Amino acid sequence: MNTHPYLRAYLAGICVPTIVLPLLLTFVVIRLVNQVPIPVEQVLIFPMAVVPLLWGLWNMLWLWSAPHTHLPIGLHGAVLPVLLMPIGALLATCLGVLAIGSHGVTWFQAFHVPYTLIAPIFLAALAGYYLIWKYIVGFLNRALGIA
Amino acid sequence: MNAHDEDRMKKLLQQALPPVDGEAGPDRDLWPAVLKRLDAKPAGASSGWAWFDWALAVGLVLLVAFFPASIPVLLYYL
Repeated sequence: MNTHPYLRAYLAGICVPTIVLPLLLTFVVIRLVNQVPIPVEQVLIFPMAVVPLLWGLWNMLWLWSAPHTHLPIGLHGAVLPVLLMPIGALLATCLGVLAIGSHGVTWFQAFHVPYTLIAPIFLAALAGYYLIWKYIVGFLNRALGIA
Repeated sequence: MNAHDEDRMKKLLQQALPPVDGEAGPDRDLWPAVLKRLDAKPAGASSGWAWFDWALAVGLVLLVAFFPASIPVLLYYL
């Protein structure tokens, strides 16, 4: 099975965010059913389109670079939030759902996240990405014969 | 190449490659030891990292438990 390795890498990369997506859609359903005045669906373009695309491309990049760098896939995946978080914050700011203040950021003009909490969240994202890429994406790569 | 030529070639090869003196190989089968070493090395290396991975997972769970507001933010980036 040596044909189209980059296509298989892309498919292995988009698997996890594609599975998580229905979980995010439940937030939309809950909002619509309970008529919660928080337009969650406005920001869904990021987890629906941008995140899976970048995960797939990131796995393709790992497949291309691993023979040269010998970087473990977990560490490679842990770098992705460094790229994703500014893009996500920029997109949310442009869509008007994220306001950057002096003491923290405010989502949907309702949820205030102080800057002191952003650093632990960022570290948690790094840890989560490391574990997911090491165990899930790594397993998918092995299952598809590209690792 | 007829049979005579083959015999001649065989003799020439035997003359050019003299038999090895002494022991031809080890007195025991080394392959099981190689397999044992191959099996042991990744297990030892991964167990150290497994503790690190568990620590990361526990830290992640604790953060989510103490700061539930981080859940939608983390899901947003997943």
